Amino acid sequence: MNWRLSCILACWLPLAAHAVEVDPVPSVMWAFYHKQFLADAPFVFDERVKLLAPPFAEDARQVPLEIDARAFNGEVVKILAWAELNPLPKIVEFEPKAGVLPWLAIRIRIEQATPLRAAVLTTDGLWHVGSTLIDAAGGGCTAPSVVRSQPGWEEHIGEVLGGRYPRGEFSRVRVQVAHPMDNGMVSGIPEFFLNHAQLRGRDDQVLAELELFPAVSENPNLAFDIDAPGPTRLVLRDNSGNEFDAAIP
Amino acid sequence: MRWILLLCLGLSLPALADLDYALKPRLIADDTWLLEGSTDNFAKANGGNIVNTAFIVTEAGVVVIDTGPSRRYGEALRQAIAKVTAKPVVRVLITHHHPDHALGNQAFKDVPIGALADTTQLLHEQGDSMAQNLYRMVGDWMRGTEVVLPTQVLEPGVLSVDGHDLRLLALTGHTGADLAILDQSTGVLFAGDLVFYQRALTTPNSPGLAVWLADLDTLQALPWSLIVPGHGPVASDAQPFAQMRDYLTWLDQLLRDGAAQGSDMAEMIRSPIPERFAAISLGRYELIRSVSHLYPRYERAQMQRVDTRY
Repeated sequence: MNWRLSCILACWLPLAAHAVEVDPVPSVMWAFYHKQFLADAPFVFDERVKLLAPPFAEDARQVPLEIDARAFNGEVVKILAWAELNPLPKIVEFEPKAGVLPWLAIRIRIEQATPLRAAVLTTDGLWHVGSTLIDAAGGGCTAPSVVRSQPGWEEHIGEVLGGRYPRGEFSRVRVQVAHPMDNGMVSGIPEFFLNHAQLRGRDDQVLAELELFPAVSENPNLAFDIDAPGPTRLVLRDNSGNEFDAAIP
Repeated sequence: MRWILLLCLGLSLPALADLDYALKPRLIADDTWLLEGSTDNFAKANGGNIVNTAFIVTEAGVVVIDTGPSRRYGEALRQAIAKVTAKPVVRVLITHHHPDHALGNQAFKDVPIGALADTTQLLHEQGDSMAQNLYRMVGDWMRGTEVVLPTQVLEPGVLSVDGHDLRLLALTGHTGADLAILDQSTGVLFAGDLVFYQRALTTPNSPGLAVWLADLDTLQALPWSLIVPGHGPVASDAQPFAQMRDYLTWLDQLLRDGAAQGSDMAEMIRSPIPERFAAISLGRYELIRSVSHLYPRYERAQMQRVDTRY
């Protein structure tokens, strides 16, 4: 064995302890998404990326998802999450910067039982892929909007409920944004959804960038763990160009 | 050809024979019969027979309380009744709109089916999708099952079936329209799903746990001697009430504390379940469901408007 190969192998050994050779969930789509979303870049299935969801979707329109890549704190470039068998699979692209932990809670819609993925790109150029499986009666993406059934809903677009919850070394920031998040799959209603969010700290320092996709539930719920001092600002934009601004003290 | 037919028959007979609810009515008080379901979840193995139904044989005829999860169950219930008494079924009372209690209605189309007005409305709105979900969970047992809406509106008060007095209570804690029935001649309290016993309670339509707790006070204050929960074994002591209160109070506090600490739903569903509830069937499964149903209200109570429009 030549020395170069040995060296490479030695580097990979610590990684191999957490990486799994085979796909931990039954998937017919992995190769496709690996090409489509990760451009066939090097990856490992990695149990250190915790993708936590209930085993079944009680409400397919509001499925809680927790993405925990804190094992890679300080090395995360971005996190991309998707639901493999959704008609619109992409959920979120999250770029945590200094001051925010690589952890995110979000709620999503799913159309049927599906594998879920969170791919974490670390600074060494490797994607670490966390996976889980969720069962569902289905229909979350094509169900009629709950928001639109409420009279006067237009008046409330962009209203943000939020809170900060101290958790020792960091603080949890949670927001809930009033928005119908129309995904274009309900007859006669075109796409209308929040597609960008930016989290800012003191002096408008950017803490995180998020691209949101229409798999995100109506009235999106987001939670972040922030170790930068407050206050925190959240700037949101939808695909019609509306901008919304919230400040969490 | 004849051989193929015989072979098909041979293969299909055991399959058909398997889909038998084998309902066995048990006498729990004078003229009062219970059909006790399992405390498991809906499954192909039990055909959705996870529910307690009952009937009372009065002078005038039989009063049925809840019709079960499927047409097949409703028909089996009717046959089971016919084995106990030759009297006709004169009334059906539906405690609430959930599918395991009302989807057997098809077998009682010739009889007045009574329910609270809001129960009928909820069954009208949600019945088809609930039935669809049961087809998914229990499969072929559901064949031919369709929603049949109640035909009579029940009002709270005494319902006299030819001198046999049933006290009807219109409560709301479980679904927003929950009928409880106290048989004044036997003291049997048919609590519907306001009381679960040894089986975790379900919350998909609950207006709130405080409302449910208040309903338990109302029920417990009645002059009952035997309690028939919607799910789980009957009891002649107050144990089912104690367990319900303990569980509801714990769940309420868990959700309140979680919201105050900013926990997300995905974290809440992993909360430890106290050891004292270990014997209650389906604890984790129902906690996952209850967090989905109830937690949004608790978390909103712990948030403020933070947008700059405000």
